[in-house]
This record gives sequence, structure tokens and C-alpha cells, in this order.
Amino acid sequence: MFLSVGVRFEANVEALNMVETAGNYGKHRRVPYLVEEDGRLKTVYVPAMSGESLAHAYQEHLVNEALSADLPVCDDCWRMEFYKSMNKVHLKKKVDPIPDDPKKIEEAIVKACVVEDVGGFLYAEKPPVRRSSAFQVSYALPVKSVALFATSEPQLHARHAQMDASSKKGNASEQMIYYVETGTALYGFTFNLDLDAVGVSAITSKPILDENEIKKRREASLKALFRMLSSGQFGAKLSRFFPVGGITELVVSVTEHPFVVTSPIYDDYLEKTQRRLKVLESFGEEYLFTAATGEKVPEEALKEAIDYLHEKGAF
Amino acid sequence: MTEYEGIVKMLRFFVQTRNFSYVDRIGNALNPEPVEVALLEALRAFRSIRESASVDENGGRYIEKDGNKILLPGIPSGEEVMGFLKDVRSDTGVAKLVATLALAYPSKKENSGGDV
Ligand SMILES: [Zn+2]
Repeated sequence: MFLSVGVRFEANVEALNMVETAGNYGKHRRVPYLVEEDGRLKTVYVPAMSGESLAHAYQEHLVNEALSADLPVCDDCWRMEFYKSMNKVHLKKKVDPIPDDPKKIEEAIVKACVVEDVGGFLYAEKPPVRRSSAFQVSYALPVKSVALFATSEPQLHARHAQMDASSKKGNASEQMIYYVETGTALYGFTFNLDLDAVGVSAITSKPILDENEIKKRREASLKALFRMLSSGQFGAKLSRFFPVGGITELVVSVTEHPFVVTSPIYDDYLEKTQRRLKVLESFGEEYLFTAATGEKVPEEALKEAIDYLHEKGAF
Repeated sequence: MTEYEGIVKMLRFFVQTRNFSYVDRIGNALNPEPVEVALLEALRAFRSIRESASVDENGGRYIEKDGNKILLPGIPSGEEVMGFLKDVRSDTGVAKLVATLALAYPSKKENSGGDV
């Protein structure tokens, strides 16, 4: 089963994804964006959040969900440091001695850690072993029709230090001013989860774990997504720049095979997704589609998808 | 390219501090907008770094990175920036050339301290 979620969220004055700091200036991530204006295309620079940042947040929630379901999480991931068995030092913590066979290496990692099972890993030694992530996430980008209204604006802040004349060194100042660039936009992003990949070898396509364990891991993966979206715990600087706003719209599709909802950066994404699903239906594929755009709240739509998957025996 | 020496020196400073983001964005731009944005951001960051830089006995500004002293050049002049952006508007190749020069080894020992 394949789950695909399109999310639109409004974020006012957020610093969810900061890139380099130069001196006292902290910059928001920005990407070039192609927008149409008066029938002509033009490039504008808009605030954005990287998929990496969203993926990191998701994996943190996955750690918590896995632990509360008594599922294995390795020591590195448990500390929210996602090294993902990148070398011998990290892999040795899971299996010692390290086997020569890539299949055995993958098996050991998947068995030892839900995060690396669901989020993939790259063991960059001899032999290299890589496992693709079962979940995929896009950048969060401003919705096309309003991208021109997106802003990133530096805000001035001051940090104070108490100093008497004797402790004052050179030209050190009693207050340090710094700027934090904040973004404001209606963002859209897509999140996909391939439930069939959980607990299954990427090398042999055969299950590594027993069915019961796989079902538990699938459930934890869904709960992690639910928690991430419901709590707004993703991105940086939440302690002082928790975005003002929230999810405005959300659509979910659950299909038997991979299908991705139309990107929520387009205004007609809901209708388009439905039309595309109708075509699948004509091929005899069953699916669930649900949206939280008016009456329904995002949690209700996600719950519907979880219930549907439960009914279908995914967990 | 001596007319854009100030911009080249500034970008070279970022290269020395292993921040390749500006030089890459300027060098790989397919149209003038990304060059403008990258240059604006580079100038903004450069000013910020200068403000907090140390001053040596000769009045030159410098920062220390991994134990190395890196001298800060002067801020490119308004005329130079204007000329550069105007040239980039008619030929993006100018941006590529400037970025390439910034990545190259300077041809002679430069007094990169610039203004005081
Ligand atoms: Zn792990």
C-alpha cells in the first residue's frame, strides 16, 4: 500500500529553515521560483524549507513512536543523530563482526533500527550497502498563485550581557544586535510513504522481518506522520519563531501501488488528484481519497487514512 | 577583468573561508536574476563579517579560521557593482568569468587588506 499526503500550511514569521550565518545575520533558505505574471514567466526568490529538514523532523517523531511501541531503535538514532550506519564505527554498534555479505549487513541494520528500515541508510564502506528511504518528502514551497506575496524579512534582535567597566574588554559591547531573516508564506509540500517497503529487503525484495513486526512498524510510521503534522514540530527555531498559522488544507490518498497526489502548490490540486484517481479506478485499483479543506480538520482526514489501512490489513 | 577586481576579491575571500555558495551561484547562473540575488547576499554577508572582524597593527581587517589569518578586502564600490550587473544583463558569461577568477589563485601577492 502507498500513502501520499499533500499539505498546505500557512506560516507567518517563521524561521523554520535557516542557512548560513554571516557575522550577525542569519539567513532563511530561499529558492528561485518560476511564476507567471501577465502571461509571462519570471524568476522570483521565495522562502522555502528543505525536504531534508522535514525528513529529519519526521524521523525524530518516528523514533518516539517506535520507542513507545517497543520497537528497536539504534543508539545513534535514539539520540536523534541520524548517522544511519554510515561507516564501520557506527555499524559495529549493531553487528560485530561486520559480515561481508551486503544482504547480511542490510538485515542486521533493518532488524536493529526502525528509523533505518523506514528512512533508509548508506553504509559507505566495502562493500557499500544502500537502502532507499520508504518515505519521500518534497521541499516546502510557497503556493504558486500567491508566491509573489511571500516575503523574507530580517528582524532585529538584541542579546544583552551585564558588564562592569573592569570586565569590559576592548570594544566589546554590552549588547549584541543580530538579525534573523523570517519567512512568511502559504507553503505546500508532499509526503509519500511506501508501506510495502517497510521491513522488506531492498536487495532481494523479500521480507526481513516477520509479518507482525512489519505491521507494527507500519503503524509507527503512520503515527509519526500524524504526530509531526498535528504538533507542528518540524523545522528550526521553534522556541522563539514558532510559525503563526497552521495547516490550512490537507489531502491524502491511499492506493495499492505508488501514486502521488498532485502537488499542493497548484490551486486545482484537489480536483486534479481526484480525476487522476478516477483513472486508476477504471483499471480496477481500489483507493481511498480524503481531504481536509472545509469541514474536516487535518487530523480527521489522516485518521480516515489510518483506519482504511487498518481495514485493508496493512497493520 | 580588472574593472571587477573588488567583486573578485570579495568572492575570493568567501572561497578562502570555504564558503562556495556565492561563487557557485554567480558562476552557474543561467540568467541575470540569480547573479543579482547572490551578489546582494554576498555583499550583505560580507558587510556583516567586516563589522565583527579584528583589526591588525597595520589597520587591516582580518578574521581567523582554523588558525589561519584571512585578510578582508575592501567592499566593492557602487560603480563597480553597477557596471558588473549591467554587463551581466547583456551577457551572463561575465558572471562566469568573475566566478572563475575568484576560484583561481591570485596572480600576484595582493594587498588584500583593502581600505581601513
Ligand atoms: Zn538507527
